[in-house]
Amino acid sequence: MSTKHTSDGYHRLWDRFRSFRRELTERTPSLTRSQVAYLLISPFFVLFGLFLLFPIVYTIYLSFFEYQGVGDGRLFYVDLGPIFFEVPRIAELQFVGFGNYTSMLADGLFWQSMFNTTYILAIQVPIMIGLALALALALNAGFVRFKGVFRTAIALPVSANIVAYSTIFLILFNETGFINYLLSVVGVQPIEWMRSEFWARKTIVGAVTWRWTGYNMIILLAGLQTIPQQLYEAAEIDGASRWEKFRYVTLPQLKPVLLFVVVLSTIGTFKLFAEPYVITGGGPTNATITIVQYIYEEAFVGSPNLGYASALTVVFVAIVSVISIVQIKIGGDD
Amino acid sequence: MARIDITDLVKVYDSGDESIVAVEDLDLGVKDGEFLVLVGPSGCGKSTTLRCIAGLEDVTEGSIHFGDREVTDLRGSERDVAMVFQNYALYPHMTVRQNIGFGLKLSSSLPSAEIAERVESVAEMLGITPLLDDKPKELSGGQQQRVALGRAIVREPAVFLMDEPLSNLDAKLRAEMRTELQELQHDLDVTTVYVTHDQTEAMAMGDRIAVMNDGILQQVGPPEDVYRSPANEFVATFIGSPSINLLTAEVDGTTLSGPAGFTYELSNPEPVEGRSRVRVGVRPEDITLVKGGSNRATVSVVEPMGNENFCYMELGEHELTARIDPTLRPQAGEEVAFAFDESALYLFDVDTGEALKTKTDAVAAGIGTEAR
Amino acid sequence: MREQRRKDAVWKFLTYSFILVMTVAMMVPLYWMIVAATLPQEEFIQFPPRLYPGTHFFENFAVLHAETEFVVSIWNSVFIAVVYTVLSVLLCSMAGFAFAKYEFRFKEPIFYLILATLVLPIQLLVIPLFLMMSQIGWMDTFRAIILPWLANPIGIFLMRQNMRSIPDALLESARMDGATEFQIFYRIALPAMRSSLAALAIILFLFQWDLFLYPLVILESSANYTIPVALSGLEESRRINYDQIMVASSLAIIPLAILFLVLQKQFVSGILAGSLKE
Repeated sequence: MSTKHTSDGYHRLWDRFRSFRRELTERTPSLTRSQVAYLLISPFFVLFGLFLLFPIVYTIYLSFFEYQGVGDGRLFYVDLGPIFFEVPRIAELQFVGFGNYTSMLADGLFWQSMFNTTYILAIQVPIMIGLALALALALNAGFVRFKGVFRTAIALPVSANIVAYSTIFLILFNETGFINYLLSVVGVQPIEWMRSEFWARKTIVGAVTWRWTGYNMIILLAGLQTIPQQLYEAAEIDGASRWEKFRYVTLPQLKPVLLFVVVLSTIGTFKLFAEPYVITGGGPTNATITIVQYIYEEAFVGSPNLGYASALTVVFVAIVSVISIVQIKIGGDD
Repeated sequence: MARIDITDLVKVYDSGDESIVAVEDLDLGVKDGEFLVLVGPSGCGKSTTLRCIAGLEDVTEGSIHFGDREVTDLRGSERDVAMVFQNYALYPHMTVRQNIGFGLKLSSSLPSAEIAERVESVAEMLGITPLLDDKPKELSGGQQQRVALGRAIVREPAVFLMDEPLSNLDAKLRAEMRTELQELQHDLDVTTVYVTHDQTEAMAMGDRIAVMNDGILQQVGPPEDVYRSPANEFVATFIGSPSINLLTAEVDGTTLSGPAGFTYELSNPEPVEGRSRVRVGVRPEDITLVKGGSNRATVSVVEPMGNENFCYMELGEHELTARIDPTLRPQAGEEVAFAFDESALYLFDVDTGEALKTKTDAVAAGIGTEAR
Repeated sequence: MREQRRKDAVWKFLTYSFILVMTVAMMVPLYWMIVAATLPQEEFIQFPPRLYPGTHFFENFAVLHAETEFVVSIWNSVFIAVVYTVLSVLLCSMAGFAFAKYEFRFKEPIFYLILATLVLPIQLLVIPLFLMMSQIGWMDTFRAIILPWLANPIGIFLMRQNMRSIPDALLESARMDGATEFQIFYRIALPAMRSSLAALAIILFLFQWDLFLYPLVILESSANYTIPVALSGLEESRRINYDQIMVASSLAIIPLAILFLVLQKQFVSGILAGSLKE
């Protein structure tokens, strides 16, 4: 009986809340649907305009100037007694026209970073996609058992923090690290990974591949699972070999997903920053410095060349956007 | 409970530069406690009409009254109506109990205990008490259907609105639910507007049916009347399955002559007086195969239904359908003679489709025709 | 027939070997992290190295805790990522719902404007944001880390796509039941979207969790560092040893790895949702 009693009390409270709510609903003027819609999008859109649209425009603006220091003085202000709000001048700038862009052409380090990024990309993306595809195919094979366990293990690096895993690779490829130990076991001389241009880049390739192979495998696996089983059965009846099934059924069916993964990975590797920053510091002798890392150093290390860094950003974003648009074109086909 | 009066209802959708008239000048009254079925092909405006009654669409022109209360500009929740949707629209994250009680909880001043009681009794009435704590996705289609009904019943509304509520069920269940729904409506005695595209369902369920096409109300009446005396060619075609046979014939005095040598002698030529052409309609069940006769057609297919046979025939370019006795089995390609009574004949205006003559035989006479 | 069976066996063997080798390769760095984190520095740097974990984890952790503010950084990262995720999911689903289910003026242009920014690597807006934050005095604050990314284009895009799959009848049914538009949003739309919300939450959490360049620029005092910033700081300061760095890395990776194991389904759907940007 006591439970009955408490539930009565609870009900009474609840009913009072309901009548309050109903009253509130009836009293408040009912909004039209489009007013509701504006209310729903406005917080998003204010933040979007303030922290995305404005910075985009401002980056382009900044790329035509030379930065001379943080601005002082205010652009305008609002004074409502308790609420005081001012918009300061953002920076002291000197107009240089296309100066930043022209000096980019003669900037050896800019070209070096472009080359490094492209070099790492050209090696890393094919290896990673190849491995991810092979793994997805293997884990999609009917006879493989414990699929869940393998998939989980291989995809586990997805959860690894980007700087944390970079420091692990730093230690793994240390002169006295595990990799050199493995090499010594098979009788190979230890390699000074971080001192050789060639090996430093390969270390970055290895690290990025480790982090993202499982991620891409998950996408490819999902793509494989959408291929209708009947296609394989039809190919089987037609006497197709394993390779022919892959070549004439899997590959064409998977093509959109595969292309998508390639473009996504290309953009991802293009944006490389944390790995070289942590593992190699861009070295040896700038052999692994990437574009984003170079932008960071121009803007925030030593004297801040924010104007020049903005010009670099504009060029970089333009390149990435072109790749992205290609991606959308490819993805839009189906 | 309430009478529904719809006066001069117009609904126009504006999409950019072009506007689409979904419902045009609709006048319709639904009697208190009546089961009215709105029927028509898809896009005919029947659902739009229902949604206007429900308050889900703003009315462009015209007014809607429930009893003496004008509800034209009221929100759906203020109209004292309940609606059952085609896909049931059960809230997927709520249990059956919560689904049924949600409306009462939000918009009634009933205490929680009474809401709980009402939910229980509605569930019992529909036989879904054991399912009260399940989520919709655990239920079969028929069970979901019942929950959707329960959600409408529990609010004890003045008007029930149902938008193709049975169309997602398989054929057998649909027939069962049809009967059940009718009984339920009869017991509750709530004014009901029911939308369907299925003319069989409309015929079977409605006290009256309202046939719509292209946003225009074509005819309202008891199913039998609409079937026997359609207002125009569209209604005649839409109601009845298999469809009425139609062909265009030349009028020469009392003689109608159609394609492929079809002729018919009218004993009462009054409806066709002063016309040179007319549309001729005969329902499949009124066509009989006869030994000798001037009207002949070639059999193309015979579909045995068990209790009867559907005989498809070719009359020149035209296809004719006849419902014939199961013992009759003409072969495909065979030429047969057919005939029908003048009392079963429909005649329509060639241009407007307006009915000139509909069935005139007495209902009981139908038995005589078949016995022959 | 026997020939075929032998070929199949070889094929199976090769497939399994490949999977096993790759699995081991994926595990090695994580294993090595644990080995390094549980050994004292002297034992770890000897060559050949010790190949199995020790018991020195808590000692290493104690040193790390005494000499750095890394524990605070973990808290900072968790706090920032959770607050960010909750707010952003709310914002994105509100706006996504509006774009999916309401008609309003300028709906299409606004949406395409947002869509256009989807192709931009938004993490690269560091320079203007840095200038803005230093001007309004938000440098070295959490709000400077959280606010700029709340209006996440991927988030609104995903939410709009998913909200479109809610049947209109469901919303209408709620309207008939007397729900206000806001009640429809939070009592019907949000609960009905639970799995998409979880997937989005994971995308956003990982986005914020992995943010490095931007906090590196904005955060100045070590008490405010997030994990990535703190870790890169540790790595630069030579007085901290690798054993402690590895303890820090383990602390940065293991909680999320466990989360991954527990919520694998949501992670996978998050990855797939994030990769299906039309």
